[in-house]
Amino acid sequence: RVVPLNTWVLISNFKLAYNLQRRPDGTFNRDLSEFLDRRVPANINPVDGVFSFDHVDGATGLLNRVYQPSSLNEAQWGMVDLEKPLSTTEIVPVIVFFHGGSFTHSSANSAIYDTFCRRLVSLCKAVVVSVNYRRSPEHRYPCAYDDGWAALKWVKSRTWLQSGKDSNVHVYLAGDSSGGNIAHHVAVRAAEADVEVLGNILLHPMFGGQKRTESEKRLDGKYFVTLHDRDWYWRAYLPEGEDRDHPACNPFGPRGRSLEGLKFPKSLVVVAGLDLIQDWQLAYVEGLKKSGQEVKLLFLEKATIGFYFLPNNNHFYCLMEEIKNFVNPNC
Amino acid sequence: MLRYDSTSSSAGSSSGSLSSSSSSSKPPQQDIDGLLAGAGYKVRSSELRQVAQRLERLETAMGNSPADFSQLASDAILYNPSDLACWVDSLLTEFAEPPPTCSSDFIVDPVNNQTVVNSAWTAAEPHTPQVHQNITYDEQQSLDNQLTVVTAMEEDSGIRLVHMLMTCAECVQSGDLSLAASLIDDMQGLLTHVNTVCGIGKVAGHFIDALSRRIFQGMGGGSVNGGSAFENEILYHHFYEACPYLKFAHFTANQAILEAFDGHDCVHVVDFNLMHGLQWPALIQALALRPGGPPLLRLTGIGPPSPDGRDSLREIGLRLAELARSVNVRFAFRGVAASRLEDVKPWMLQVNPKEAVAVNSIMQLHRLLGSEQTRNSPIDTVLSWIRGLNPKIMTVVEQEANHNQPGFLDRFTEALYYYSTMFDSLEACRVQPEKALAEIYIQREIGNVVSCEGSARVERHEPLAKWRRRLSGAGFRALHLGSNAFKQASMLLTLFSAEGYSVEENEGCLSLGWHSSPLIAASAWQAVPAWDNHMSSS
Repeated sequence: RVVPLNTWVLISNFKLAYNLQRRPDGTFNRDLSEFLDRRVPANINPVDGVFSFDHVDGATGLLNRVYQPSSLNEAQWGMVDLEKPLSTTEIVPVIVFFHGGSFTHSSANSAIYDTFCRRLVSLCKAVVVSVNYRRSPEHRYPCAYDDGWAALKWVKSRTWLQSGKDSNVHVYLAGDSSGGNIAHHVAVRAAEADVEVLGNILLHPMFGGQKRTESEKRLDGKYFVTLHDRDWYWRAYLPEGEDRDHPACNPFGPRGRSLEGLKFPKSLVVVAGLDLIQDWQLAYVEGLKKSGQEVKLLFLEKATIGFYFLPNNNHFYCLMEEIKNFVNPNC
Repeated sequence: MLRYDSTSSSAGSSSGSLSSSSSSSKPPQQDIDGLLAGAGYKVRSSELRQVAQRLERLETAMGNSPADFSQLASDAILYNPSDLACWVDSLLTEFAEPPPTCSSDFIVDPVNNQTVVNSAWTAAEPHTPQVHQNITYDEQQSLDNQLTVVTAMEEDSGIRLVHMLMTCAECVQSGDLSLAASLIDDMQGLLTHVNTVCGIGKVAGHFIDALSRRIFQGMGGGSVNGGSAFENEILYHHFYEACPYLKFAHFTANQAILEAFDGHDCVHVVDFNLMHGLQWPALIQALALRPGGPPLLRLTGIGPPSPDGRDSLREIGLRLAELARSVNVRFAFRGVAASRLEDVKPWMLQVNPKEAVAVNSIMQLHRLLGSEQTRNSPIDTVLSWIRGLNPKIMTVVEQEANHNQPGFLDRFTEALYYYSTMFDSLEACRVQPEKALAEIYIQREIGNVVSCEGSARVERHEPLAKWRRRLSGAGFRALHLGSNAFKQASMLLTLFSAEGYSVEENEGCLSLGWHSSPLIAASAWQAVPAWDNHMSSS
């Protein structure tokens, strides 16, 4: 095995649980899924320097979980200030995070994602807003993107998320797996609407295409993930009858478009070398480059999917360094 | 390359500005893997390897039959998913090994004659109910929880509940009502630890209620069965829809009646409890298709009087007449309104000597039984005038249960077993509100068996063996329900029901049960001619 034992147990367990939830006819056992998902509540009191609270957007009904570094002033612990900006002098990045789960699983308050977001806050001295987007198969394309876009607009319009001398909300988009896919598409929408996003962080983003690539054939079933389940999730997310060359799945494929000329954010794309869809992720990086967009590829040769859930491997620390530098180039 | 290395799996490491969230603020409890704890899972580091191995076994098992898994997952009882070791084990039991056969299983401990609950009590249903009604999986999500969580604590609580119920019943029998009352309190507390959506928790709740009523309100219990006739009919109808017991009863009786009426041109069915007349459309249609043409059919339906001046019996009669007309069966209906079967006199039925008569009793005869075995008790009176009608056939369907024993504890124990089995079978029903109302129907029966006495207790079920003796003693002999009836009953089950139901044939009688427990039995009888000569010598 190439991963620590507890990581192996964690991800194998997910794989098992997910297998139980997906039905061969394309339907999904949502009750079972909700039951099995390990969740944690928000905590207004700081734990390890981070506190969180949930916010439901009245217009969309979307739940966003906000994570912030705790105030240095202990007297302010347990309170949330929704009026004053984060800072009037420094820039405090706000990372809008889209959790993974192949568009189908997990939530913003899933334990693994709550933990990850807290780490991001500590690491980057940032605010993280985790978006609880609507999932497939109950809600197909473009619901997740619509929800992501709504969340971005919400974040951008919060005065209490502003920072810096220019009193702007300094936003980065981030996500793993399907969350990475969502981050890309929301960034496109933002660029087209002239809404500024400072950077995209895509952690083994979920892309695909009709043809079977070399990495898919080579790694099918080898490290927790199978082509069969990837196909299932695309069928569950994409409009019925569509194939995987739909631009949601394959943004630079035969039905894709160039982003040339678009004011698209710089991207950090992290690819796990043992992820079977890496060829699509690498193609994505190429597509960004060809569109003249700034992109940095972090290729972690021996990493499997989900390597960032537990801080027990080198890839994790490597990733965290890169993210920190990406979001805070001045630190 | 990182190896599968258990040494790196210790509690969350900190490095520089990183901290691993919640797990590092407290020391890890006894060897629980701190990183997995942060992900919501409790596993002891020392057990990690074993859990990993079991996960691998599961994967192999799943690889062999992937399609079964999501279906089984919908119906399985799964253990606490945070406790990974336990969770994986429960899945292995479910998927990789043959499941136990019975989910409610009482054993009577021969040593001290105590009833003990088999630990298979909380095991999973081995058969997956088929979804027969046209429910899509999306709709199923909003149906009651099919997924039951049973933690180790719940299992214990379930067993304790049963013990406490028994003890409480014993107290009631011996008259120690104050102890019984305190036990009620304890049990209600215990109920909060048990899933009351299905299984032992649900049934226990009803028995606790019934006991409570008995203890605190005395045994008049008029309120229990005090539902209006209208309500009872609705509940009955939903019970009919939710599970196959009544359909089986009707179907089997109709088969026997049809065969008995062969060759007769004038036939008369006397139905001891018309309800909504659910049984009769099928018979009317079968008679319509009879080779040689249908007979003239008279139906006399007995039922309770309607309080509000409506003649509900007549309304049902009209509907049946309409149906009969549509299939060209000459039909006449007569309603006899009576609150109790024993109030009916044979002359009210206006039986014509030239007719072939069928007397149909679906779960009515037991209501005539009293606790005392006196002569000329209602059952004797009624059986006697039935004989007087010289019916071609008397179809009798009764609950296959022993709920008329004089000792309260015995009755209680039997009822607990019987209704647990029935509730188990009802879990297979996915249609609402049929299921919920069927449960209320059953709940009322439980209430009557447990909390009523004297004339208020009408649910005096006796098993087929007792009815055989009783009916034989009253001058009837059994007619064999043919193998045809058996085949048809089995077919009915596959058409309408979930797996788990079973039909059994027993000396010419048919019973329908859940797994190996018969719950309802159907038999057919004929009057022995010249019986009265025998009677004078007994």
